[in-house]
Amino acid sequence: MLSKEEFINNAKVGKILTRKCTKCGHLHLVTTYFCQNCGNAGFENVIIEGKGTVATYTIITVPPEGYEKDVPYAWIVMNVDNSELRISGFMANIKSPVDLPLGIKVKITGYDEHGIIIEKQ
Amino acid sequence: MEKVCVIGAGSTKYGKLQDSIIDIALQASVEAIESAGIGPKQIQAGYISNVFGIADKQVHLGPVIMSNLGIPEVPSLSIESACGSGSVSFREAYANVAAGFYDVVLATGIEKVTHTGTEWTTTYFSYCSDFFYEGGAGASFPGLFASMARAYLAEFKATEEDLAMVAVKNHDNGYLNPKAHLRKKITIDDVLNSAVVASPLKLYDCCPFSDGASAVILCSEKFAKAHSKNYIEVIGSGRGGSPAALQGREHITTIPSTKIAAQAAYKMAGITPKDVDFAEVHDCFTIAELVDTEDLGFFEKGKAVQAVREGRTRLNGDISINPSGGLKSKGHPIGATGIGQVVEVFDQLTGKAGERTVKDAKIGLTHNFGATGASCAVHIFKSV
Repeated sequence: MLSKEEFINNAKVGKILTRKCTKCGHLHLVTTYFCQNCGNAGFENVIIEGKGTVATYTIITVPPEGYEKDVPYAWIVMNVDNSELRISGFMANIKSPVDLPLGIKVKITGYDEHGIIIEKQ
Repeated sequence: MEKVCVIGAGSTKYGKLQDSIIDIALQASVEAIESAGIGPKQIQAGYISNVFGIADKQVHLGPVIMSNLGIPEVPSLSIESACGSGSVSFREAYANVAAGFYDVVLATGIEKVTHTGTEWTTTYFSYCSDFFYEGGAGASFPGLFASMARAYLAEFKATEEDLAMVAVKNHDNGYLNPKAHLRKKITIDDVLNSAVVASPLKLYDCCPFSDGASAVILCSEKFAKAHSKNYIEVIGSGRGGSPAALQGREHITTIPSTKIAAQAAYKMAGITPKDVDFAEVHDCFTIAELVDTEDLGFFEKGKAVQAVREGRTRLNGDISINPSGGLKSKGHPIGATGIGQVVEVFDQLTGKAGERTVKDAKIGLTHNFGATGASCAVHIFKSV
């Protein structure tokens, strides 16, 4: 089984480590053990570009612990290009919805204590 | 399967409570036992729902509650399923009576968190998300529902004012509920002018962090007929699950677990959504009530907004949604909420709901989920 560490190492260089079902081809994030579509346990690693568009997001002004200095910031759900996958993460320095229209192009740029880091392309 | 009934119900006021987690659990449990007209020795099992007992220095709540009820020998089960703990616990209680393991059981839900402050609760509640992708990337619970809201508003051309109308309606109902946490009427401007918590959601789009406890007594129909004239029957019970993280769902504006649980409950009850007179639904945030009432089949996808604008979900509208005030106004002690919804249905169907009575109601539905709907239970009740 692949470790989360490997997933994180890929995120640090802007990539997404996915698992492609060897039976039906369904793509999953690396944290899945069985295919959500067909129940198969066989996967092959597929590394894809961490690029996509904003599916939805929020701008947080009342943060959980550890994010006090980052307020306001966005938490984003991103549609990954050329796949049906979505992935979510943290985006700094977003103050107003004007700063981030839905559908705008974004990319993964790293991973740190804020989780997966997403920036505008 | 045995038919299962609810013969007693009790609840503390929801809000900022001074008494300990055990004290409030006992207050609700004793009220339920007295309401049922039974003695504690008739209880054969306890189902105890709670999430953050650790905040009030007590976990393993079941044996402590049973001991204080004078029945330490009676087995109990402690259940955590985030904000849906109460309904999941109710389901386990229901299933065990239906299966014939027990004739009479107690289901008590409790939460005591307000003394910890907003940062503690915001942080600990975020642990109910799929933490690696959500809480661990800065998403608060209001933030997760705000993300659903932004997608919903864009997809269905709804506005922040529409969301505010849900809050105003639920506060109108909660104003009539003596046990509600936020027992005051509010206006659309109050909501729109309240502080932004996680855009587009503002403070008054959010339910409060509440303390509170609720309890019900479930029993076999045979026992109910022999011991009570004041009971309701459970006619449907369904459960469902969703991908834990929002990113894993086909549609961000639909909660799969609600649909799965509702379909199972409707099928068991042999009814359709049109037969439901009122529903207590999981309105942790205003957006959730719109999504819930669509996923439960009361309105087509995207049409809940129009229903709210037309007042169809108000008390004694086409279908009364959250006559208790809902999580929004009545409050949301997360381990108690699902049981509290059953208390409301019991009160409504046995003539104890006072000014907020839904007229001529025969069938009530409860809908309660955990986190952003990763876990869900739906129950349907009928007056007898």
